[in-house]
Amino acid sequence: METKIPFLEVSDAIVMSGAETLYWCMQCGLCTGTCPWRLVPGEASEQFNVRLVQRMGQLGLEGFESENCLFACTTCRACVDRCPRGVDIIGNIRGMRAMLAEVGTIPPSLKPIAGSLHSQGNPWSGPREKRTEWTEGLDVPAFSADTEYLLFVCCTSCYDIRSRKIAKAVVTSLRAAGISFGIVGAEESCCGESIRKIGDEALFSKLAESNINLYNGKGVKKIIVTSPHCLYTFNNEYPELGGEYEVYHYTEILAQAAAEGKISLSGKMAGEVVMHDPCYLGRHNDIYDAPRNLITSIPGADIKELARNRKNSVCCGGGGGRVWMETKAGERFAELRITEAIESGAKTLVTSCPYCITMLEDSCNVMGKQSELKVMDLSELVAENL
Amino acid sequence: MGDENRKILVVGGGISGITAAIEAAEAGAEVTLIERNPYLGGRVTQLNQYFPKLCPPTCGLEINFRRIKQNPKISVYTLAEIESLSGSPGNYQAVLKLNPRYVNDNCTCCGKCSEVCETQIPNPVNYGMDTMPAAYLPHAMAFPFKYVLDPGIVGTEEARKCLDACKYNAIDLDMQPASLNLNVGSVVWATGWDPYEVEKVDYLGFGKYPDVITSVMFERLSAYNGPTGGKIIRPSDGKPVQSIALVQCAGSRDENHLAYCSGICCLASLKHATYLREKNPDSKVYMFYIDIRAMGKYEDFYVKVQSDENVVLTKSKIARVSIDRESGQMLVEGEDIGRSEKVKQLVDLVVLAVGMKPGTASCKPSLDMDYDDFGFVTGSGSSGLIPAGCVKAPMEVAASLQDSTAAALKAISTAMGR
Repeated sequence: METKIPFLEVSDAIVMSGAETLYWCMQCGLCTGTCPWRLVPGEASEQFNVRLVQRMGQLGLEGFESENCLFACTTCRACVDRCPRGVDIIGNIRGMRAMLAEVGTIPPSLKPIAGSLHSQGNPWSGPREKRTEWTEGLDVPAFSADTEYLLFVCCTSCYDIRSRKIAKAVVTSLRAAGISFGIVGAEESCCGESIRKIGDEALFSKLAESNINLYNGKGVKKIIVTSPHCLYTFNNEYPELGGEYEVYHYTEILAQAAAEGKISLSGKMAGEVVMHDPCYLGRHNDIYDAPRNLITSIPGADIKELARNRKNSVCCGGGGGRVWMETKAGERFAELRITEAIESGAKTLVTSCPYCITMLEDSCNVMGKQSELKVMDLSELVAENL
Repeated sequence: MGDENRKILVVGGGISGITAAIEAAEAGAEVTLIERNPYLGGRVTQLNQYFPKLCPPTCGLEINFRRIKQNPKISVYTLAEIESLSGSPGNYQAVLKLNPRYVNDNCTCCGKCSEVCETQIPNPVNYGMDTMPAAYLPHAMAFPFKYVLDPGIVGTEEARKCLDACKYNAIDLDMQPASLNLNVGSVVWATGWDPYEVEKVDYLGFGKYPDVITSVMFERLSAYNGPTGGKIIRPSDGKPVQSIALVQCAGSRDENHLAYCSGICCLASLKHATYLREKNPDSKVYMFYIDIRAMGKYEDFYVKVQSDENVVLTKSKIARVSIDRESGQMLVEGEDIGRSEKVKQLVDLVVLAVGMKPGTASCKPSLDMDYDDFGFVTGSGSSGLIPAGCVKAPMEVAASLQDSTAAALKAISTAMGR
């Protein structure tokens, strides 16, 4: 075995970049064994060992920087939940990425994402002024002092053609539930969740501060989000920057409305439905029951569970910036979920995260399973059953 | 103060309580030893062999039982619990509840009651791995050497059949719970330990797969007086076990479960490796650990077991145990830290090395003692109760003996008001 000399200035810099719990790690390897990359073959599976990456960070050694190593982490939190030392593994990964991001050495595939966020306030290279294009024909009210909730629509559902259906379905459902809400529109920027996970702290701060100034100026108190990633950021990362809001995922609002009988669901499109727990709704925000309660409030809906569900759910592969990186077919986590969903016998797979929809639907199509399984956002299932 | 005040109550009849009671009595104190089970010996009774000498615990227990029988200063109550406890050092009042055994001293252990009893109950000595008739001798070396009737059959036809089968008038179905008041000068608290509820570590598969068992169960599976007569076979299909995975720190050193190291499990698992290797020379043992903690003189035992080429030690905290549908074997997965490679090991049986939880985590005396976050006793506190053995820290039998001998001395001096 080759002798390696620790470079402690580097490891100190990593800790300073946010990897505060780097030295808590005792190198037991439970994280690496738990990591969903162990469930698939391929380059990232072979290269990305989260325990070893942290060890290299502890020693300040080079060699972990590639797209399929440090940037393979989807921040799914499966390892964090189990870590016997309570190590903030995602924080450590973020800190190591931040050190690279500061000197501009993030993977090439992520550079246009950062560029678009800088110039347009969204990662999808969509013009800022078209942020509300998805609302056409829906007459979505603007947020005002009389509106209870700000509806914050994830950039993905503002620009991506498929994902816009989610934004529309959320609006339709909230309206049916009699919720008072409005949108802010073009002035708004991406919540910044993913870019922070990619390591660009400066860009995150810029986006977050711009949103906080905007919302505080408009008197926003309560926010409904369409994506659990935005939920995470608003709840966990905005308060220290001065943005303190009551934030809800739309499934929480709709489940509550259904429980109170404020929304009536017909059940005309119901049937056997299997649910994929998004990492950021489940493990990151501890919301497991709201989407299930919402499904079961649809008359005739028969909820099935994937073999790995709730806190044992397997990531779709889209978090931590991976939604913008290429993972070869045959090596994708989403394929595992599609297979599990088909094994469950249900014809519909619902989830409630725009990244999950993108990843799952793509894999379903690539696998040629679209005739066997329909991938839907829960908002779409609700809207279809109004 | 004279000898009459040197009365001591020892709570818990495991190896620590037995030792404290005998040591105090042999020094002249009058001791009452109480135990919740119908027999003395506690967890030690359930061990196959001690490490590192690999001798059977029944041998040492038998010597201790003889010391108890020969000493008129020790009164033993099994099936006994503390109903109330009050007072202070030098003067405690205890009320004991003595649960009925339904069998009196006439019992000769002929076993006729058991033969006619058709009701089967899980055998707690074997951690429920087998069942036994509801009229039973707790185990072959039980002390007191008397049968017991499970309260569940009392009042039924089963109990009547047992009564009719007994030629010695040893069965008394009218026995009632009794109360006993004691006035003692000191109290030793030696309520031992419980294995960690490892089903809480859901990714290790205990409770989900029959071929995943705990280390304490493996002691029984290897013991000649265990559920299989000492044959190490798979619980699922009874096939002889050719390979085992010994999974260390199954909940231990883990903030989500037991944040501490129990200190004995590595040695116990190394011992388990010898159980299988001895009984089946063609077998293979895979042990997965975070660190092997074989302290002090135990290092020699570790080195000895390690030298067996069919015992493979891998640094890995196991992340997943599942069933391999093709072979029906258990699949153990994790990361091999030394090689930075995947662990994917198929084995016949998975043994989870479970940590020790103090008895005081679930059941504390009514008088105050000081505890740490996990329920271990850190000091006698205002009550002056004297903790002994595993209620203070996880420890092996040898350390428990030393600790309880010290507790006996403390109990004598407390009872004498010194």
